[in-house]
Amino acid sequence: MEKFKWSYAFLFTLILMLGACGNSGDAGGAVSDETEEGGSEGESVTIDLYQFKVEFRDQFESLVAQYEEENPNVTINVETVGGGNDYGATLKSKIASGEEPDIFNIGGPQDYADHQDRIAPIEDSEAADAALDGTLEAVTVDDQVYGLPYNLEGYGLIYNKSIFEEAGINPDDLTTMEDLQAAVETLDGMKEELGLEAVFAFPGKERWVYGNHSSSSFLAPEFNNSVQEAFESDTVEFELSEELKNYIDMQVEYSEQPVLSLDYSQQVEALYSMEKVAMIQQGNWAYPSIEQIAPEVAENSGIIPIPVAGESKMPVGVPQYWVVNSGAEENVQEAAVDFLDWMYTSDAGKEAVINDFNFIPAYEGYDTSQITDPLSQEIYQYSEEGNTSGWVFLGYPTGFAEETFGNNVQQYISGDITWEEVVENSKAYWEENR
Amino acid sequence: MKTKNIMYWVFIAPVLAALLIVVVVPFVWGIYYSLTEWSGDMAQTPVFTGFGNYVSLFSDPTFLGALWFTFKYAIVTVIIINVVGFSLALIVTSYIKSKNFLRTVFFMPNLIGGLILGFVWQFIFTDIFNTIGEALGVEMLEGWLATPATGFWGLVILHVWQMAGYIMIIYIAYLQSIPDELLEAADMDGASYMQKLKNVVMPLVAPAFTVSMFLTLSGAFKIYDQNLSLTGGGPGGTTKMIAMDIVDTAFAMNTMGLAQAKAVIFFIIVALLSLTQVYYNKKKEVEL
Repeated sequence: MEKFKWSYAFLFTLILMLGACGNSGDAGGAVSDETEEGGSEGESVTIDLYQFKVEFRDQFESLVAQYEEENPNVTINVETVGGGNDYGATLKSKIASGEEPDIFNIGGPQDYADHQDRIAPIEDSEAADAALDGTLEAVTVDDQVYGLPYNLEGYGLIYNKSIFEEAGINPDDLTTMEDLQAAVETLDGMKEELGLEAVFAFPGKERWVYGNHSSSSFLAPEFNNSVQEAFESDTVEFELSEELKNYIDMQVEYSEQPVLSLDYSQQVEALYSMEKVAMIQQGNWAYPSIEQIAPEVAENSGIIPIPVAGESKMPVGVPQYWVVNSGAEENVQEAAVDFLDWMYTSDAGKEAVINDFNFIPAYEGYDTSQITDPLSQEIYQYSEEGNTSGWVFLGYPTGFAEETFGNNVQQYISGDITWEEVVENSKAYWEENR
Repeated sequence: MKTKNIMYWVFIAPVLAALLIVVVVPFVWGIYYSLTEWSGDMAQTPVFTGFGNYVSLFSDPTFLGALWFTFKYAIVTVIIINVVGFSLALIVTSYIKSKNFLRTVFFMPNLIGGLILGFVWQFIFTDIFNTIGEALGVEMLEGWLATPATGFWGLVILHVWQMAGYIMIIYIAYLQSIPDELLEAADMDGASYMQKLKNVVMPLVAPAFTVSMFLTLSGAFKIYDQNLSLTGGGPGGTTKMIAMDIVDTAFAMNTMGLAQAKAVIFFIIVALLSLTQVYYNKKKEVEL
């Protein structure tokens, strides 16, 4: 009998342990009551923050530490997981496991629709009032704001100023596709003198570069530059399909080969930063990488918009929004908005946003002369002049940009399908998935 | 001891509970999800659609493409890994010097994670191959991973390099257990090296073939991390394997139900193939 008891006891302990494991993950928005005595500090609040921008993690964490120092009753746990798809997928699994973060990121209307049950309206926020015109469009539903923009970003053709000068090309003249084509041919003819391997570096491996960005530039006119309009549209027409084709053909033809295995780091770091190519299609987010490798090339870089329909407008948009979880406790939600407000509207926060994060602010009240990198400054100028086009790719159906259009372009480049098929397949996917 | 003894159940209960919680329950649950349309959001209720997902699978070109690609890949890698692994095992059990050192070296790739291996080999294929190709004028070495064919062979080379050492260890264990007197007797009878290999060694290490082929076959089907980091499924989704297709369907396209249906089909295929393979290999084994 003695043996029996022991094994039951053992079994019982095991079951208890299993049960205990299930509870350990209970972190979501818990309000701890440890410091209840410190009445002046208010009750302590723990905010779980889940964000996607890997590039500024260290700087962001030190800003968070500064905030925690000023507000000892607030603890913010920052977790960072990078890259578009990966972030979305891990966020989903985090939510599925019951560990919902209190602050997280969404990209646009599609993400909003996916998560709308858990996104709280942003009320009484100074930052929301200070946000620049148009930056809240993608997260405004029925006149209610649901998110706060990270920053502004823009993309276009980043070029090396001294190479252009040597070749006698004035970048300001490249306002139509014909001008651009002519300039590319000039550069191609002078490759040897300029020490270039090719004119472009077209990253065929990175489907987002053309799946999201190139396509968005050429689809923006048919959606009137509006993310919401793209999101609500049942069809896509590819009105500028010929131009988009020519633009991609040109980059592929004059690119370092083979394009289909060329990735972001080769494009930006190995080729552009080493002055082996004159131009790349990228955005101001590439600046820190270029600067790390070749500071003089970075300072000597400029950016021009991709010419679309004879116009040259800079596509400027908000890459991600901060949103607050409506499932979190009331005081956690308030503390979350307070933190975001502090980050974007307090002096210390502004200082960090512009100097440490190197952001182009999406809010009023910044001393923009402090923007140091030339790409961001040029993009900011375009947006100040209102000479911008919209980021409609944030309104594409899920899986359209990379899995459909991107994959089809890859097959087009390898010669397996024609451009007409690319357009047909993409249109069909859009209609099916709306 | 009678197996129906209470102690039997007491001791087996912890394992049984764990198996039930992490394997059986999710599996049954998964089959249910495969019959629904669901975006993976816990706040939404899956919509029951019957066998709709399964029907649409067989007209889904990406799924069929990934399935076919995985088949080709599995056949090629199972053959190459076992041939290479067995050859390496023969080398390091022969009477050459430095065999202990060689064992370590051959096994080492297996200690590196698949994701990192993928990135390392990506660098080798795209940069080093290219440089060598340009320097020597060998066109075959240029443009690796940019075409479906080089993507396929890139994956095969990576996987063989990683797994051959591991499989080698299994063969070594069996090769060393062959009694010397049998080989000596064969020598006395004037058997050549090839004759000894074919008639004495091979039948005796047959159980090792069963194990190794099972491991490599199921491993080849389930590969994901190497695929993700080496080619990412590109160009144009032509090197996307079935595990990756399932993940993309679930997390990039937000169609959890369809992904789950793919996973169920995938499970059935792997189970059928592995069982058939083990059955046939078992028949070839001999008892001493």
